[in-house]
Amino acid sequence: MTSRMRRLRWINWPGLLTMGLLAGAWEAAVRWSLLDYQYLPAPAAIAQGARTLLTSGELIPNVLHTLLVTLIGWSLASAIGIALGLLLGLSPTAYRYSMTSFEVTKAIPPITFVPATLLIFGFSLRMELVIVVYVGVWPVLINTIGGVRGVPVELLDVARMLRMSRYHRVRKLIVPAAIPEIIVGLRLTLSLCLVLAVVAEMVGNPAGLGHALVLAQQALQPEKMFAYVLSAGVLGITLNAVFRSAAAWMLPSPTSGRGGGSP
Amino acid sequence: MKANEQPVAEQASAEDRPQPQPRNTFECRNLSVELRSSGGLACICRSIDFEVREGEFVSIMGRSGSGKTTLLRILGGLLSPTPGSTVRYYSEQVDGPPRGVITVFQNYAASLLPWRTVEKNVALGLEGKVSKDEKAERVAEALAMVSLSKRAKDYPWRLSGGMQQRVQLARALAMRPSVLLLDEPFGALDAMTKTTLQDELLHVYEQTGATVVFVTHDVDEALYLSDRVLILQGDPSTIGESVAVQCSRPRDQIETKQSEGFLTLRRKVYEAIMQGHD
Ligand SMILES: Nc1ncnc2c1ncn2[C@@H]1O[C@H](COP(=O)(O)OP(=O)(O)OP(=O)(O)O)[C@@H](O)[C@H]1O
Ligand SMILES: [Mg+2]
Repeated sequence: MTSRMRRLRWINWPGLLTMGLLAGAWEAAVRWSLLDYQYLPAPAAIAQGARTLLTSGELIPNVLHTLLVTLIGWSLASAIGIALGLLLGLSPTAYRYSMTSFEVTKAIPPITFVPATLLIFGFSLRMELVIVVYVGVWPVLINTIGGVRGVPVELLDVARMLRMSRYHRVRKLIVPAAIPEIIVGLRLTLSLCLVLAVVAEMVGNPAGLGHALVLAQQALQPEKMFAYVLSAGVLGITLNAVFRSAAAWMLPSPTSGRGGGSP
Repeated sequence: MKANEQPVAEQASAEDRPQPQPRNTFECRNLSVELRSSGGLACICRSIDFEVREGEFVSIMGRSGSGKTTLLRILGGLLSPTPGSTVRYYSEQVDGPPRGVITVFQNYAASLLPWRTVEKNVALGLEGKVSKDEKAERVAEALAMVSLSKRAKDYPWRLSGGMQQRVQLARALAMRPSVLLLDEPFGALDAMTKTTLQDELLHVYEQTGATVVFVTHDVDEALYLSDRVLILQGDPSTIGESVAVQCSRPRDQIETKQSEGFLTLRRKVYEAIMQGHD
């Protein structure tokens, strides 16, 4: 009972109220023709569109495709980002040799690679994955390097004082100390992967939410189109929430919810 | 490098130590330290000479910023002095933490691993070095010594400052060190706990014959524990006074602190510290 109460308190009621009011205002504005565009539906119409998509069985396969690509891309990006980040964070030589290339590549907005990727890989799943992974690698990579290089000197002194071997130092001290920052990178990457999956589906791979969204637009079905937009949002929120609670469950820390610290 | 291979000093009790004239555990000659500060290199201490004999309990006192922590870091091989200085651990030049020398750091909150429980923190230095059973035994023993057995499974950031400091002490004791470098280990404790841990430390010291270098701001504590109290004075600091404490061991919180000799020394140390102030 208490846990239920706590969950009820945990929900941000004022925040939900604001959202409800905004949706209400939108609905009213469209009904009373304050917002009078041919292809701007009211929330109620969008909800109707979502219901149609659900019952016709169009929504779920599209959501699943995008979800799958996001998760696969995210896993690959995380693995590559963490591995490269550890290498660059731990080896000053590797860091010195590669940092210039990385800074330059990082400075190029990743979205500009989309046409090139399309040209190289064609309209395919591979093209979608390449985009998602390429973009997703960056936050994990940068945060892993930052985490590894930012281990507090006090802890490094402890490792030296205890004469820990290099292997133990990395495994028992540097990597665990870097984990909170790596997790932030993983979370940023997860949202990015979803965004890029949808983008890739809109311009390249003809599948998933992004493609369905464009089709609805071309078919002049704004209710369906906005219903897909909404689904992408719900997918993003869900992924983020699942990730957050998984991270908090695995890592009790002074800053996570289980830390018991005051605000 | 060689200093690291120095075998651990035999942990024999005071009576059956082989040489009548103890060797020097640490020997510092012409020791100067310069550290980077906002105005370029700042000289922290200049031409310090002192030694710590094997099995000796030496306290270092001096006002805040006089370089006590710096000195301890030099002895622990965590900081290099300026060229021309000599720091020896037994017969070898120190250029890295020597084996068997364990430090308890002043900054206790930053010196524990927040993702490890108390017992795992205490076990850190033993992992991969002793068997699982021995590790568990030593950890339990060390935690019992600092009265933290009940908090073994807690995370250090759920403990009070004094408790965290005791975890660090337990981590040091679990290593069964031949040299302990303690930087204000009881600074965050109440008078009662402090007294208990002082006696616990003296017990360990007398049992193992370890060499101890102890930094404190508490004159009574320094005198009660030590064979010798070094007082840092001046800026850059040097050793202004070296006070030998000849009170007999084992010591007693009431008897020793009331004795004539203790009170005389107390006065002497206070005078030396006051002198350091102007
Ligand atoms: N990492 C560092 N880099 C540069 N200067 C430092 C560093 N650590 C300490 N110092 C300087 O060295 C001097 C001595 O510092 P130290 O920490 O040894 O003092 P202390 O005697 O231990 O003081 P306290 O009693 O406050 O702990 C100070 O002037 C300080 O500013
Ligand atoms: Mg200090």
